[in-house]
Amino acid sequence: MRVKDFFIFFFSIGIFLVLWEAYYWIFISNPFVLAPPSKVIVTFIQLTLGDPKFADSGFQMLTDMAYSIYHYALGFASAILVGFSIGLIAGWSKTVEKLIYPIVELIRPIPPIAWIPIAILLLKLTHTAAAFIIFIGAVFPILLNTMYGVSSVEKKYVEAALTLGATKTSTMLRKVIIPASMPAFFNGLRVGSGVAWMCVVAAELFGVSQFGLGYKIQLARLYHSPDVVISYMLAIGIIGLILDRIYRLAEDRLLSWRRGFVVE
Amino acid sequence: MSEILLQIKNIRKWFNSQEKELMVIDGVSFDVREGEFISILGPSGCGKTTLLRIIAGLEKQDEGEILLRGKSITGPGQDRSMVFQDYALFPWRTVLGNVLFGLEIRKIPKVEALEKAKKFIKLVGLEGFENSYPHELSGGMRQRVAIARALVCEPEILLMDEPLSALDAQTRNVMQSELVRIWQETRKTIIYVTHNIEEAVYLADRIAVLSRRPAKLLDLVEVELERPRNRFSKEFIELRARIFNLIQG
Ligand SMILES: Nc1ncnc2c1ncn2[C@@H]1O[C@H](COP(=O)(O)OP(=O)(O)OP(=O)(O)O)[C@@H](O)[C@H]1O
Ligand SMILES: [Mg+2]
Repeated sequence: MRVKDFFIFFFSIGIFLVLWEAYYWIFISNPFVLAPPSKVIVTFIQLTLGDPKFADSGFQMLTDMAYSIYHYALGFASAILVGFSIGLIAGWSKTVEKLIYPIVELIRPIPPIAWIPIAILLLKLTHTAAAFIIFIGAVFPILLNTMYGVSSVEKKYVEAALTLGATKTSTMLRKVIIPASMPAFFNGLRVGSGVAWMCVVAAELFGVSQFGLGYKIQLARLYHSPDVVISYMLAIGIIGLILDRIYRLAEDRLLSWRRGFVVE
Repeated sequence: MSEILLQIKNIRKWFNSQEKELMVIDGVSFDVREGEFISILGPSGCGKTTLLRIIAGLEKQDEGEILLRGKSITGPGQDRSMVFQDYALFPWRTVLGNVLFGLEIRKIPKVEALEKAKKFIKLVGLEGFENSYPHELSGGMRQRVAIARALVCEPEILLMDEPLSALDAQTRNVMQSELVRIWQETRKTIIYVTHNIEEAVYLADRIAVLSRRPAKLLDLVEVELERPRNRFSKEFIELRARIFNLIQG
């Protein structure tokens, strides 16, 4: 970032915080309804440091982060495994594509949140139930992007590999199809990760697992502590941002070969 | 005379385009000798690429057959590598990675493969660009990578489809002499498709001259000129004229 961009960045955040603080003191002035940023910052730090004031009633930021990330990792990893494998096969074989298409098109429009009741019935209030919702949210972007990536690999690369001796299907997949479709796969990964993270919060909000950032937001509302609610919201935003950055960074590293013919 | 490596026997090929049967190759036959540089010459759109793709095993003929050391060709194989009209380098691999591709397929041990790849990169004059990606190279450099990538596999036959047509005249001349040098060093059998008469006369031992579509073999011309060939010699120019008239006629 250049110095000017840096300045604009903080200026914009500063303005937002000032307006928020002013709004609170002018229109609300009630700590059970809303909290000003000055209060949120203090609460956020206390929550993070495990201050007994909050920890005694079960609010501990780092523990809850760990649970949420655990749910996310479990659900997202299975989504990658399933989405990538099926996407690869369906992109490679038109028959498999036709076979799974109706199922995918039927299930995909159902919002992940609509799966929460069945997840609870099926898996009880467990980590697995939370992970399941995340899986549902992330699997389709990964599957569809991988499938698209595989089916749009240019024929010339396949033919070039054939004339260089890659006549086995497994070799062709490993050495041509998978690397050539990595950009599309990563696209699915980033979109999927965004959806997955939202699903973490939604699943936890509904109490699918009695742990995690989303669950504690809901709990803090029952305790009438908007400062805690907003602190947790902030944590959710920050982690979501970090996750997105990680994938972008990985993408830049692994797909540096695209530089030069990607118009961004 | 060296022995016959490839027999192209009475090849016919039709394409279905817009509900119509389009005949592209009409009974082409000729032999390719081991170690020779043979050129397939014909006007644009006559079916040269199609014929080369049939030899590579990427396309099926409708009639006739192609024998490699007496065995019928049914698909692509490690004995034939192709350099494509549009290079088809793997953009996700560096120059070195592209050249290593065929060696990885053949399960050549890492150290040996690396040594070999570097040797061929040197052969095509791309030392120092091992770690560049295809998009960082000029057209002529990409061409050299494609040639190294195909050569390093040590196929019995190297198939080349107008590999130099995208280059300017000067670079093309340089690449042509490079190609002759590489061919003399490796002693591979090369089947070289071109629509450029001068190029065919400069490069080839023999030229299979094809007619307009549907391609028929007009003549198999022996080029008995000493190498390095002089493009401005009387014999060279006469041969060009003869082939020109053959295609026109
Ligand atoms: N897959 C295909 N389907 C239908 N028609 C095709 C197909 N491939 C080639 N053709 C037709 O076959 C004819 C010969 O094509 P080919 O590419 O072999 O010509 P060429 O001699 O290599 O031409 P150029 O010198 O322009 O590269 C053309 O008329 C083309 O339209
Ligand atoms: Mg062609």
